[in-house]
Amino acid sequence: MKGYTLEELLTVEISKIIRNGEMNFTGIGTGGKAYIRACGIPLAAVSLAQQKHAPDAVCMMGPVLDPVLDKESIPAHNWEFDLIYWPCRAQIPLEDALGQFRLGRVGLAFASGAQVDKWGNLNITCIGDPQAPKVRLPGCLAQTDLAAYAKRVCIVVPHTKRVLVDHVDFVTAVGHENREGLPGGGPFRVMTNLAVMDFNPETRQMRVLSMHEGVTKEMIRENTGFDIEIPENAAVTPAPSPEDLRLIREVIDPEKRFLNAGITSEPATIDDEL
Amino acid sequence: MIERKSKLLSIHDAIAQIPDGATVAVGGSLVRRAPMALVREIVRQGKKDLTLYSWSAGMDFDMLIGAGCVKEAWSSYVGLFQLGIAGNFRRAVEQNRIRFVDISETCGMDKFRAAAYGNDFCISKTPLHSDLLRNPEFVEIASPFTGEKYVAMPAFRADYAIVHASRADRYGNVQFDAIRMMDNEFDPLIAKSAKKAIISVEEIVPEEEIIRTPTMTLLPKIFVESVVHAPFGCHPNSCDTRYDFDLEHGERYAQCAKTEEGFARYLDEYVRGTADEAEYLEKVGGPEALRKNLGR
Repeated sequence: MKGYTLEELLTVEISKIIRNGEMNFTGIGTGGKAYIRACGIPLAAVSLAQQKHAPDAVCMMGPVLDPVLDKESIPAHNWEFDLIYWPCRAQIPLEDALGQFRLGRVGLAFASGAQVDKWGNLNITCIGDPQAPKVRLPGCLAQTDLAAYAKRVCIVVPHTKRVLVDHVDFVTAVGHENREGLPGGGPFRVMTNLAVMDFNPETRQMRVLSMHEGVTKEMIRENTGFDIEIPENAAVTPAPSPEDLRLIREVIDPEKRFLNAGITSEPATIDDEL
Repeated sequence: MIERKSKLLSIHDAIAQIPDGATVAVGGSLVRRAPMALVREIVRQGKKDLTLYSWSAGMDFDMLIGAGCVKEAWSSYVGLFQLGIAGNFRRAVEQNRIRFVDISETCGMDKFRAAAYGNDFCISKTPLHSDLLRNPEFVEIASPFTGEKYVAMPAFRADYAIVHASRADRYGNVQFDAIRMMDNEFDPLIAKSAKKAIISVEEIVPEEEIIRTPTMTLLPKIFVESVVHAPFGCHPNSCDTRYDFDLEHGERYAQCAKTEEGFARYLDEYVRGTADEAEYLEKVGGPEALRKNLGR
């Protein structure tokens, strides 16, 4: 029995890659597991980083900039009045919020999606041939933008062959296959229920950085839709420290509004995937 | 003194201006402040072959697509936010019944801004190497100054814009509440991007009230073709701090939109089966109940 959940583990891992003084992008998110991956874990991670090593790191939830991210301020719901009245330091027109990307002022941007390939290309647009899609998804949102301009992109997805594919059906957000002319740095980390991954600077393809406690190389190969590089010395993702767990559970998100999507109309957990 | 021109029309007469085959820019984003009263009237009047532009659409696009009003649509998103998939949109694209052009959020804003500033195209680095380039309306170009790569995109210059705002006078001076969702700050530019803008508002106020608060007039009458009075005109979408999203009705909508038959019943009951917006509002509980349940 592990003394932490997958949500807590990923919160701590993400908090480590948040740099002081940077703007982080999460968006507003939808509901359920998608919210946990794209918003809940990243927001808790920003809050944790603010309390540990990055007091001047901030985040944007769409036009809501630099919100207060503690248990007193996280609202019970995520609807219109909750967002408008969320304690924050600025609310600016969305075009100016997204304009920060173009000016190179966004450090880490969070993304999730239906497919990610070995290059870090991300697809949230459609499954199958785009001319005659098998499944049409809602659209590109701002993911094409954030992948073009953010200094670094962190992708959080479930680790299955359907999600981690050889090549995405539609390139919504550009990875490392070809970035000629794009100002941003592209995908930096991919985090799943099995592992933390980065990109090998020589091959520009995804590789395993650390495997979560109890996960084997075989499990990763079996659940990855391409031949993924697993270095001999791939580490075990360290367990969250007692202090990290205390901050997450007592100071940031005791009601699990972020980490179990309690803020949305569809509470959920991804812990059963660990 | 000669009487000045009133731009105040009934919702019916305002929408009757839009011909079949028109291009229509739609304000709002996701499920916030979409001009649903105007959208429902387009359905009631049975418009055909419209081309829709949005930077971020929701139930507005889904309803118009499901009602058979649309031949082509452009957006970064067509979904129901927390309520999930927009069923009519999904079916229409999977069955190839409409042409849908994928754009990102900033591409949509760039295209509206270009038209609002009188340009016929705009440039962006966003689409480089992405599959947005699959559509012929995205053309790679090089900067004449630095040689840097860009993608050129035609402006969103629609025949009509439909946008919902807070209040206006009868002359078409349109205001937005001071405390509002900043996601929708683009709405005045959407109105300016089109050849003619039809604006629905929660309240019609006397001109004296507008004169008292001129900095709230983000859309002066020079940009407005017609203004209509549509209280709860975004329902079941949210409208800033005036009313929140109607979750219960939204869930009913999402459920009905899952099948063609279900959605036909929805339209028969709530849209085609109501003569106008006053009847629609009664059908969904009446203004009093809506104010009580969805207000702050």
